[in-house]
Amino acid sequence: MNKSRVFKILPLLTVLLAGVMSFAPALAQDNTLVFWGGLIFSESANNALVARAQQWGEENGVAVEVVMINQNETVQTVSAAIEAGTMPDVVDLGRDFMLLLSNQEQLVALNDLYAEIGEAHGGWLESANSLVTSDDFGGNVYGIPYATNGNVLFRRNDLLEPAGFPDAPETWEQLGEMARAINDPPNVYSMSFALSNVGDGNLTTTMLQSWGGRIANDEGTDCTIDSEETRAFLTWITTAYADGLFPPGATTWDGAGDNTAYQSGQAGFIANPGSVRNYLVENDPELADATLYSALPAGPAMRISPVSTVVRSIPATSQKQEWAAELIKYLADDDFTAEYYSTAIYGPALQNHVEAPIFSESAVHAGLLDLALNGTPGAFPDVTNAAFAEYQTNFLTPRMVQRIVVDGLSIDDAVAETQAACQDIYDKYK
Amino acid sequence: MTQEAIAGFQPRRPARFNFQQSESILGYLMVSPLVICILLLVVYPFIFAIQISFTDRVVGSDGQFIGFTNYINLTKKPDFQASIRNTIVMVTAIQTIKLGLGLGLATLLNQQIRGRQFWRGLILLPWAMPAFVAFITWKLLYAPQGGAFNYILINLGLVTTHVDFLSTKELAMPSVIVASVWRGFPFWVISFLAAMQSVPRELYESAALDGANAWKRFLNVTLPGIRHVVLVVSLISTIQTTNSFEAVWLLTGGGPSNATMTFPVLAYYGLQSLRIGEASAVSVSLLPVFAVLALIVAVRLQKDD
Repeated sequence: MNKSRVFKILPLLTVLLAGVMSFAPALAQDNTLVFWGGLIFSESANNALVARAQQWGEENGVAVEVVMINQNETVQTVSAAIEAGTMPDVVDLGRDFMLLLSNQEQLVALNDLYAEIGEAHGGWLESANSLVTSDDFGGNVYGIPYATNGNVLFRRNDLLEPAGFPDAPETWEQLGEMARAINDPPNVYSMSFALSNVGDGNLTTTMLQSWGGRIANDEGTDCTIDSEETRAFLTWITTAYADGLFPPGATTWDGAGDNTAYQSGQAGFIANPGSVRNYLVENDPELADATLYSALPAGPAMRISPVSTVVRSIPATSQKQEWAAELIKYLADDDFTAEYYSTAIYGPALQNHVEAPIFSESAVHAGLLDLALNGTPGAFPDVTNAAFAEYQTNFLTPRMVQRIVVDGLSIDDAVAETQAACQDIYDKYK
Repeated sequence: MTQEAIAGFQPRRPARFNFQQSESILGYLMVSPLVICILLLVVYPFIFAIQISFTDRVVGSDGQFIGFTNYINLTKKPDFQASIRNTIVMVTAIQTIKLGLGLGLATLLNQQIRGRQFWRGLILLPWAMPAFVAFITWKLLYAPQGGAFNYILINLGLVTTHVDFLSTKELAMPSVIVASVWRGFPFWVISFLAAMQSVPRELYESAALDGANAWKRFLNVTLPGIRHVVLVVSLISTIQTTNSFEAVWLLTGGGPSNATMTFPVLAYYGLQSLRIGEASAVSVSLLPVFAVLALIVAVRLQKDD
């Protein structure tokens, strides 16, 4: 090709390419609503959610692009999307992450939608309501709850009953006694609770609070971990660790560590949202029959059964906020939600959904319903705020336990170190 | 030629560009997409990361300039101190083992051994396997309950209770190092092997005639012949290993406690709370080290050219 022709064609091609590139996304997205759904440990539930969202699209002439996001990776995925300006139109979030995002003005206030959906489905359960309308949100609602969640205590009745413990433990100390009675390493490690830097590891914060320890003061402004109650809790848990009640690996488990341990029959107790039950029913009915469920035990000070919520939010960058709101309404349908809950591992958030058959058919779902109705919301007795959320995402309580059982730090030193790290976090929000 | 035609003839205007200039411009035009890509995908994020490390930026907000505050706060954190220590230990150990293993196996595969092609292909397998699959497999092998290593150790009577490879402070780092070496050594072997094959055979023959034994031939012929490759591979691999995230994250998540906490994992934890200013400071704090390494590689490669 002649060079002068090349010089003429190149700019033309460049302009054409630039034009296509700038218009292509607009053309592709013009009629498309992007929904990032929360991926959970239930293929049936995930498929049902995708099908329902696409059904709404078909009925309304909208192309719905559903991307299921692993809930353990929501923070990374959404953070990257915010920075890149590629947020979807609807996104499923955990309540604490919603709080952090709303503080950054990344979400749309959904007050009217919240009221409308509540009214249409018998009203919001108090647990879900208190979690999304707390003072931290400045009088606005930034997420529509689609379920509540929390941990239920799983126990091996086939081991405990012969050992003389037919009933659920009332207190953590009682659980410790029961665990000692059935501990049989390397076959069974009775207290299979995560002590690692994952969400499951934050069960130790619940334990600490039930001992009377507090992460922060009543105002939620200063850290108060350094207390005798914290030391008493640490003494209990580190003694249990030293006695070999925790499985090897508990300090580095990933999010599925307790699932794997229980499913392999090598755990006595676990605290789990319910996914293990789904696995057992399908793959190990014998172990499923040998398992009983109850609420988390009480500590010397109180019983803490944290209940949280998962929500659907609309990012502030969405250009299709009306469609997004319509989709959220459509997904709150009573019949669909009952079908979704039958294979998901959630408790209800709306009054009408309490009646879903699964909550009377399955023991673990009954536990989740109990949690939704009677659980302690959010960070209780601590103040649920962004500082507490950051404390939890930094896994400071399980790390405090690790410093003692792994690094051999004294309880006093571990408490002092954690108090300092915690105060650094709370200071950022003053 | 008619008179009209001659009258209509316009003398050709002198070309605005001569041939060489036109060639240059065409060349620049051809490479410009690549240059733009590099500027957008490499230079911009690099400068952006440095810039935000000096701010209190949280995801979704611009943040305020806070000078060296993030860096000062970092130095006070036990996690950061642990990550410096661990990164140095991990990188030094992994690189040393890979160097020894790489040289040894490359020398072996450079000999006329039976099934040489098969062994050369086999050695590439760990490297060809996706990192995620490789390290999850290692995690299963290390597992205290049901893990292959524990099964073997117990059945051979070498231990009586399960060995907790990944959750014991003393064993976690060596376990990560072993898995990382396994995944990374093929690159070294293949690079060294390729370099060894370019060493003239006559040099070996002359050395042999002079009475040099195998060790002396390796020391005086092979090593000098491949020293540039050894240096470049070592430096590139050091940068890769220092930035390596999958091995530590998938095996231990930086634990137990801070026993295997390294820079990339620490930066990842920083992102959990959306504080990208702080997280960037962790990554950028390694920049001087990388800059020196990259400079050495660049100078070395330039000299080789």
